[in-house]
Amino acid sequence: AAEEEEEEEAAAAEEEEEEEEEEEEEEEARPSSRAVAVSLCDSAPCCGGVDDLQAVRSQGLVGALLGSLPRIPRQNLRLGRPLLLLPERGESLQVSLVCCWQDGEGAELRLQVKQHLEDQKRSYEEQSVLALEDRKAALLRAMTSSHTESGDEALQSRLEALDRSFTFPSSALAVQVSTARAGLSYRPEARATLHASRPLRGQEESSCHAARYQVFRDLRGRGFYLTSAGKFGGHFLVYPGDPLRFHAHFIAVCLSLEEPVCLLDLLAVARLGSNVKKTVLLCSPGPEGRVQYTSLQWSGMV
Amino acid sequence: MFTPRPTLTEVSCVKLGNLQVFHLELPLSVQDGYERFLSPSTVSLLQYQVFGHLKRLGFVVHRFDSSCQPSSYERQLNLPRSRDRAGTRLKRKRSDSSEASDRKDEDRTPPETSGVRPAVEGSEGRGGTWWLTDVHGGQSDPSPASGSSHWDFSSILFPDVGSRERQPGRLPSPDPSLLPASLAVGVCDVAPWRRRINLREVKTSPKEQKREEQRRGVNKDREVRRCRNWTEYRALLARRRGRRSGRPAHLWDGDVTPLHDPGQAIPTGELLDKISVIKSTHLLEGASRLKDSGEWRICFNVYQPDSVADFRKSDPGKPYSRVCVCSFGGPVPDLRALKTLALQSGDVSLVFAVVDHGDISFYTFKDFTLPTDVFP
Repeated sequence: AAEEEEEEEAAAAEEEEEEEEEEEEEEEARPSSRAVAVSLCDSAPCCGGVDDLQAVRSQGLVGALLGSLPRIPRQNLRLGRPLLLLPERGESLQVSLVCCWQDGEGAELRLQVKQHLEDQKRSYEEQSVLALEDRKAALLRAMTSSHTESGDEALQSRLEALDRSFTFPSSALAVQVSTARAGLSYRPEARATLHASRPLRGQEESSCHAARYQVFRDLRGRGFYLTSAGKFGGHFLVYPGDPLRFHAHFIAVCLSLEEPVCLLDLLAVARLGSNVKKTVLLCSPGPEGRVQYTSLQWSGMV
Repeated sequence: MFTPRPTLTEVSCVKLGNLQVFHLELPLSVQDGYERFLSPSTVSLLQYQVFGHLKRLGFVVHRFDSSCQPSSYERQLNLPRSRDRAGTRLKRKRSDSSEASDRKDEDRTPPETSGVRPAVEGSEGRGGTWWLTDVHGGQSDPSPASGSSHWDFSSILFPDVGSRERQPGRLPSPDPSLLPASLAVGVCDVAPWRRRINLREVKTSPKEQKREEQRRGVNKDREVRRCRNWTEYRALLARRRGRRSGRPAHLWDGDVTPLHDPGQAIPTGELLDKISVIKSTHLLEGASRLKDSGEWRICFNVYQPDSVADFRKSDPGKPYSRVCVCSFGGPVPDLRALKTLALQSGDVSLVFAVVDHGDISFYTFKDFTLPTDVFP
């Protein structure tokens, strides 16, 4: 019953024409197609939890990491969560439940606060025990290394004094800042009740946006991996496999069949593609969801 | 809600583990921070991405406050900076092009004396009776139209010895009454004379042929015959006059005239200026007169990491560059936006940070003068 509820609500958020396909696919029950929590960060879809990231990647959707890695924050080569998804990916079939996290109110909030305080207290006690042990070990090291003649009694007395008087200041408490929202990963049953609070696609639905989405779906259906290609003058970079293992083969530029294209633009994009050794793919979605592809390649007279 | 000012630093500190933010007594996770703090009204995701990128590289990044910038007038008063615009001309010096056209009508070249042309067809067979016409009376001959002449030219033979069509083989002997008493002249054989004459046709150029036509008579001119009324004839005359003076009417009489009369002398540099399509300008030229549309804003001041030692929050000094954030999906800044932003930025270079879904590219615009290969 929970699954049906999910399907209905997910379908309600998507376009109507995908409803039938969606229900069919979810009935096939692929193990990788699970609900993924996607949140909106300044109207861009993001994923926070590690499980969600794994699920998204296993479905063949590549995103861009935005945040700093907690252990090595001062560099730009390897970034950490959250993962930013392309708008097309956010709309893709298997993903997409948008959750707009509501602040708990009233009793729920008090419960959460109480739980948090209890967690803090527990952590404080654990840490104070560890801190005391640390100090004792340091004292032992200091005493034994200095080779004083006081012997064991002085050591014991010092240790007992430490036991009595040691207090662990709460300002020294090490606090963990969680990267992802704690709620979902702790409570897996909460996923079943996630509902789409608002659709991912915004109000402005231009034709070029629709064209891009159709091309994305078609290429993704053929098994290609797609990332954004703003730096290459196109809409998508098309990889034959996971981007971590392959170089891109194509630069996909989405055009509609009817609109006229300036020849200079075609020449420019062809030049660019030949410079970076990728084939330029002109994609035009046609009727019935089929997409026409035209490739541009630099060739000689022969 | 949250104040927009410290959100940037808050989020970055949260991510570096320096700061813990509480909302409703519960600690916020980093993801929560992303969702709550970043919005178009406070700090957008694009701006935060650029901010984070630069901070991770070690730059000191501050917000740009346009009210703290000295205005151009203040800059003029306080800072004696040298405006280095090397090798550029602000105004093109315009030479006084003499518009007075020195049109002088070319004189008609005197018609050349071309070769022998068949003037009169020799009509043989007519007897020599012209000397017998009576000066005083003239009854038996058809007198010519003009009454003063008493000669009958139609009966006078002027044989065309060199004509091709009718080749007189021999000339008859003259009337013995014309000759002195004792002289007897026989028939003249023309053939050896003809052999001495260059009988080839003279090739005349079309101009010469036309001149010959015109010489023959205005009425015989083909173009004149095509004119049906005086207006057309006058137009024909004007055309001919224009062609002669080098300023054809169809080019110079309309609304759109040629840029330059080829007959006038002009140095190459000025000619290039005349035909140039692009007008060059500087980034700061005329920028103070432009109204700022407000669409493009400078977001950050960036200071270099190695100047952190002398960087003080109270007195940051001159930034290394200023950053304006945009995305690949958005519009490219046009010249107006570039000029207003350059004016706001002052003497610090402006960098455009273009965000493409996680990748950031930096672009900047610099003044550049195209070289002209003109030797004065």
